[in-house]
Amino acid sequence: MEAKFISQDDTTLWLDELAERHVVLAPMWDNTVVTFRPHVKGRTPVLDRMPVLPPKEGVFPQNEMLLKYKHDKDPENLDRTRVQVKETLPQETAVVVGARPCGTRGMLVFDRVYNCEKIRDPYYVSRRENTLFVTVACTRIESTCFCHDVGSHPADTEGSDVLLVPVKGGYVAEAVTERGEELLKASFFKSAAEKAQEAEGVKQANRAKLPEPHDYAGSGEKLMARFDDMEFWTEQSAKCISCGACTYLCPTCYCFNITDDSVGLSGKRLRTWDNCMSFQFTLEGSGHNPRPTKAHRLRNRVNHKFAYYPELHGVIACCGCGRCIKSCPASVDIRAIVKAAQNHTPKQEEGSDER
Amino acid sequence: MSARNGVLSDTRELRVVGFLCNWCSYGGADTAGVARFEQPTDLRIIRVPCSGRIDPLFIMRALVSGADGVLVSGCHPRDCHYAEGNYYARRRLELLKQFLPITGIDPQRFEYTWVSASEGARWQDVVTKFTNRIHELGPAPRMQGGSGYDELCLKQIEEGVKQGPSCPCHKERAL
Amino acid sequence: MSTLEQLKDQIRKALPDLDVVIGWEQGYDAMHATPLYIRKEEDIDRLIWSPLCVHSLGTYLTGLTRTPGAGKIGLVVKGCDSRAIVQLTQERMIPRENIVLFGVGCTGCLSHARLEYKVEQGGHYVEDMHSITFKGDKVEVAVNGDVETFDFDTVCLEKCLTCRFPNAIATEHFAGEEVPVAPKCDKAPSLEAFEKLSLDERFTFWQDQMRRCVRCYACRNTCPMCVCRDHCISTSRNPHWVSQETSSAENFMFQMIHTMHLAGRCIECGECQRACPVDLPIMLFRRTMVHAVKNTFDYVSGADPEATPPLLTFKVEEDNIKERGW
Repeated sequence: MEAKFISQDDTTLWLDELAERHVVLAPMWDNTVVTFRPHVKGRTPVLDRMPVLPPKEGVFPQNEMLLKYKHDKDPENLDRTRVQVKETLPQETAVVVGARPCGTRGMLVFDRVYNCEKIRDPYYVSRRENTLFVTVACTRIESTCFCHDVGSHPADTEGSDVLLVPVKGGYVAEAVTERGEELLKASFFKSAAEKAQEAEGVKQANRAKLPEPHDYAGSGEKLMARFDDMEFWTEQSAKCISCGACTYLCPTCYCFNITDDSVGLSGKRLRTWDNCMSFQFTLEGSGHNPRPTKAHRLRNRVNHKFAYYPELHGVIACCGCGRCIKSCPASVDIRAIVKAAQNHTPKQEEGSDER
Repeated sequence: MSARNGVLSDTRELRVVGFLCNWCSYGGADTAGVARFEQPTDLRIIRVPCSGRIDPLFIMRALVSGADGVLVSGCHPRDCHYAEGNYYARRRLELLKQFLPITGIDPQRFEYTWVSASEGARWQDVVTKFTNRIHELGPAPRMQGGSGYDELCLKQIEEGVKQGPSCPCHKERAL
Repeated sequence: MSTLEQLKDQIRKALPDLDVVIGWEQGYDAMHATPLYIRKEEDIDRLIWSPLCVHSLGTYLTGLTRTPGAGKIGLVVKGCDSRAIVQLTQERMIPRENIVLFGVGCTGCLSHARLEYKVEQGGHYVEDMHSITFKGDKVEVAVNGDVETFDFDTVCLEKCLTCRFPNAIATEHFAGEEVPVAPKCDKAPSLEAFEKLSLDERFTFWQDQMRRCVRCYACRNTCPMCVCRDHCISTSRNPHWVSQETSSAENFMFQMIHTMHLAGRCIECGECQRACPVDLPIMLFRRTMVHAVKNTFDYVSGADPEATPPLLTFKVEEDNIKERGW
């Protein structure tokens, strides 16, 4: 499909129109930061920067009610307690507008675990099928960006339905999927004409802004070689304070927790985001914890993204957005940790300690 | 949003939670009951061994969970059944009272007082006064909304947009 | 000898007796510092000291001192940081005899949020900042070929405007000159502005702000006073204080838990707000509690290692608490 163009002002009007039929999640100023919020008429979306929170909340909300339940007595047999269960599957259709390619790419990581041969999570699948992603190509490369190191780039279309490339006066819109094409049929989109060329220029210019790519090939094996080296992991995790900022802001982190919130005899079953940096993540009912220290937990996080997931699914489960580095209160840098494993030279005395 | 100007003329019962120490205040409430003093029925009592057992978070949890008012009562200072419990309570609860305004919760919705076991009439007085005060304030605003795209969020954003930049919760780039 | 050189010297001399000395080094770019664990002498060269050193390193003490076999731990502390150690000493929460403090006098720390706002207002992109120089009461930022100069007061952390403890206290070592106590204002400007709002407006404000909290607990984990660590009641199942649901009410309740547990303890280091990935203005709560403690008990936390925290004691006749009329 040929590229289209939409002006800056028309973009807001287009979102107003979309919001009549779908829930539109667009980046908005939330006091001093930009988060995804439902778009309403009169609000101008903030499309010129990467939002602090990732776009995964469009298909994987932080709180999701899985079902409601209610205990009561069986009128036929008052000794028995029954429980009524009502599933609550998501119904609405949504469009997530304004994410960056690194964020939307996270959806691929989710798809491989939530919607595959063995498992089809009905809640996730329902949202995924009913949500479209309109991604804005990146024009602001930061010191924490490393999307090109992990197989992506500032104009990556993986996971998106439409890619908007910022040009003078508006955006050049490219349809990535059929459903994206449908979106671009809205009257606000005109033919791109010579702006398409400008868009290509923008893409290349921003690709060039990134520093020399670092090769993470083989990092999985190198990390696994350090698995039992608790001295290495204690050193790497020394700065970490075991909060969950990195996990909750990560577009590819997908772990969850299920709890029942009861009030009296009724309640709801909630699925919420969980984070592997917390002590409680692997805390067992007996009191034993297989990952008792932050060294163990950071090892798990880094290995999951750069070793386990790539081994199972073939891609690094990190999109290089850099949110974890920027938002970490202690500036723990996952790039530095993986590089430390890659560059690790065994000491003379170790011999053939490597696994 | 809130019914603070409580033009609430109905006699609907509001939810007032009371934390009473077992020895003095609960005894005082019993005395009031035995003497059949008439009191509003909004107050629901939670008995604790001593006012010193009361964590200010009990009051916060009650208010956040929907209580319209919270009343704490213990032995008079110098008369605590456990000698010192109410001294600690006095310190904690005074801090809580001074802290509440910053949260937007009306500090008048929380009160701590000292009622001894023989003061049945005083208990009736305290409960009546406090309940009337809560009725005047009206039902407490409930903090609502979650993450994601719930209806309430949409409504609130719409209202904020209509109010324009003077809306306190959409003040962009506060310090 | 500059403060940094003096500091390095002091650490070099003390390091053989210590397991580790925690300080700061240059971070992932020119605008950020990051904590540094000095274990070997060559690590000392990486140490830096500048307004980029915002982190309150006392937060690592709880974990380190409770590790079996832990020896002596050294810590570089600014004024506000040292108050945390003093307060924890009052509460007997840390083995003070196993801690060696290297104090410095601080003239203020950088607020990245405020700096980025000013840079953007000047028409630049934040990511184009490539170096920063601190020149007394001015800050020079090289951004995209230009050099922008700002008054330090407009880009420092808000806590620095009201700082009454610029020099580290109760330390074994002190590097550099003592900084005169000269707070710019009595009360934090954001608190002044917030107190003008009505109760309803405040309630709505918090309802709206708490919506974006993701309950990462960065505020809690970075707090040097939080010693419960993995056993915090906010993540316990039994008793179940807050739900996993990140609704405004539950997020607000967590802030209440944190603030109440800091009553009489909070040293106003501001780390909680700095650490927050979504920039929640939670210092409003903490500062209010600090003021309430000051007004009621005339107590300033983290000032005197021999003092008793106000909530751990009582007076039969309280100076500032009037017996209620009813």
